[in-house]
Amino acid sequence: MFSGLDNISQSLEAYLVLSGILFAIGSFGFLARRNAISMLMSIELMLNAVNLAIIAFGAFSLSLNVDASVIALIVIAAAAAEATIGLAIVIAIYRNKKTPLVDEYDAMRQ
Amino acid sequence: MYETLIPLIPLLPILGFAFTALFGRRLQATFGRWAAEIVPVGVVVAVWIIAMAVVVPALNHAEPFGEKGLDVLLWTWIPAGSFTVDIGFHVDALTAALLIVVTTIGMLVHVYSIGYMSHDAGTWRFFAYLNLFMFSMLILTLANSWVLVFAGWELVGLSSYSLIGFWYPKRSAALAAKKAFIVNRVGDVGFALGIMAIFVNTGTMNIQESLAKMTESGAVMAIPLVIVALLVFCGAMGKSAQFPLHVWLPDAMEGPTPVSALIHAATMVNAGVYLVARANPLFAHAQEAMVVVAAIGIFTAILAASIAMTQTDIKRVLAYSTLSQLGYMFAALGIGAFVAAIFHLMAHGFFKGLLFLGSGSVIHAVDGEQDMNRMGRLWRKIPITHWTMLIGTLAISGIPFFAGFFSKDEILGEAFKFGNYWVWGIGIVVAGMTAFYMWRLMGKTFYGESHVDPSVEPRVHESPWSMTLPLILLAIPSALLGIALGLPFGASTITGWLEPVFAESELYLHGEPEAFALFGIDGYLILSSVFVAAVGLVVGIWLFGAFRRHGKPAKVQQLTAANSATRFLYRASLNKWWFDEINDLLFIRIGGRVAAAMWWFDRTIVDGTVNAVGGITRDAGGGLRRIQTGRVQNYALGIAVGLLVMAGSFLVIVSQPR
Repeated sequence: MFSGLDNISQSLEAYLVLSGILFAIGSFGFLARRNAISMLMSIELMLNAVNLAIIAFGAFSLSLNVDASVIALIVIAAAAAEATIGLAIVIAIYRNKKTPLVDEYDAMRQ
Repeated sequence: MYETLIPLIPLLPILGFAFTALFGRRLQATFGRWAAEIVPVGVVVAVWIIAMAVVVPALNHAEPFGEKGLDVLLWTWIPAGSFTVDIGFHVDALTAALLIVVTTIGMLVHVYSIGYMSHDAGTWRFFAYLNLFMFSMLILTLANSWVLVFAGWELVGLSSYSLIGFWYPKRSAALAAKKAFIVNRVGDVGFALGIMAIFVNTGTMNIQESLAKMTESGAVMAIPLVIVALLVFCGAMGKSAQFPLHVWLPDAMEGPTPVSALIHAATMVNAGVYLVARANPLFAHAQEAMVVVAAIGIFTAILAASIAMTQTDIKRVLAYSTLSQLGYMFAALGIGAFVAAIFHLMAHGFFKGLLFLGSGSVIHAVDGEQDMNRMGRLWRKIPITHWTMLIGTLAISGIPFFAGFFSKDEILGEAFKFGNYWVWGIGIVVAGMTAFYMWRLMGKTFYGESHVDPSVEPRVHESPWSMTLPLILLAIPSALLGIALGLPFGASTITGWLEPVFAESELYLHGEPEAFALFGIDGYLILSSVFVAAVGLVVGIWLFGAFRRHGKPAKVQQLTAANSATRFLYRASLNKWWFDEINDLLFIRIGGRVAAAMWWFDRTIVDGTVNAVGGITRDAGGGLRRIQTGRVQNYALGIAVGLLVMAGSFLVIVSQPR
């Protein structure tokens, strides 16, 4: 099937397992890390895990090949935009609160 | 022409009221009393002239009135689908009879008030209220629909309330005003229900149409006519102060005396009689209700007469006398003697107005004293008041050829001839009591020893002309109205006037009237009532004196304390048969307890349920609020858990074997 790429795994499950592990690491990081920057990085990790799953599906299913690439590109663009805005927000809050730790950002309670 | 004149009758007083209420105070302050008085008194004189121009052809059934009366439609007041109420007036002989009483006495009372209120700072307010009352009363008499009658009915109640409480800083006056208003409301509830019942039965609010529909032969009514008639009579009982709603009228004497004369003797209290007379076809077709009317009327007559015999406040004696005479009128209505009732209404309006204005003149003369035990020997000092009041007394006692003789005789005579012997029997006793207590009033006030306060004695003076002139003008009809309207016997002028209004009902109730027999049954009836009245007067003169003859106060003491029965009767009469105490027990103490229990139920059970629902919602919200930490990671955890649950349940569902 992938004639020129013999050294990669022929099993879809392997990619999905990797993607699931990456997503789990990302979501754990998002929930457990208190530093806003680390949380943004965790989000990137989760997005990339999803991207990997999409690409894997596209590679193993011919009818999805092109669509998967397009979706992955859109996710990358969205992730870039999200990272930009997220960082901008984090910096703005940091200027106000003088801390990068999100558990001190509880203004939404009021 | 009459289409223009008739609306003017109520229009002028309401304009007078508006003008006086708006500008009266400034006019009085700037130009003096006369400036505030000239407009309200002027409009009432104008109304009297217009009313007379309407009354004369209406009573003679001339065109365009005819026998059915003239309808004047102004505009449609409430157009609501099939339910419409017009503002309109209906003038027939009955309306005209009322117009005579209302406008004549109204005019004279306005003139009288110029003198009577000359020491009062709020004259303009008094005249404004009087004009408002005239408007309300004229609307009530002229109205052609039940709704408009009800509006007038409530408006007279309002103006009566304002005028009883005219001296509102006096606590007793303010309380009496409230009492009158509240007791009247009790009757008004019945009247309002009666009007609704009439609408349910007939689908129209027009008085004439609805009465015609209700008395059609073979008509089937949703609500029995007896109930409708009794509900309407409820309203009449309140306004005309019939037992057991009579308690407000004596207290209403707290108002200025012209008010007592106009509203609480001559006009407003007659509204109930007028209402029943107006609805006479309804009552004629509900004869069980008529028995109730007659019974309550004659019972009120004797009850009030018994109380009047021992009261010492001159105005209260007259107030109970008014109750008693109103009872007579209802008795007459109840036995189906409608013409006699209206005749007595007119005669009573004049002589009771006269007596009240006379008592006002007496009170004015002795510097505001109302207790008859502190009067006496006034007849030489205030001669005009004395002579006019003497005419009034003879008229109410039923002495031949004064007004009351004809009207009262007609009531008693018809009661006997229609076979209501119980009404006749009680009525004739009341006639004797009336003559007695009226002479007691005269004797205590004008004759015998003087008990006037020595400091007031030298200042006793006859009232100014504005007060004596109305007395003289009222004394004339009190003396002559009977001769003018009550003759010839059996086919009197007033019967001729009012016949078309009542003919159908009287025919339905009694069949063709028998010919009048002056030398037969009717003669004996007249003789018997004159005899009883004369006995009452003679006993009165014997005990309380006349002119130079002194009374026998010791004998009065001895008679009232003769044995335990007379002592009980004396105390009962003096304490008004304890009706105020009974009402206090029933409605203030027991009713108050019931109301307190209801309030407790409302507060704890009803309010408690509502508050509990609100409280639970609020506390639930308060509890859920705790999970709103404001920390992003808590929310994210929520999202993650939610996602896991959703994904997990999805997997469980898709892995189920089909």
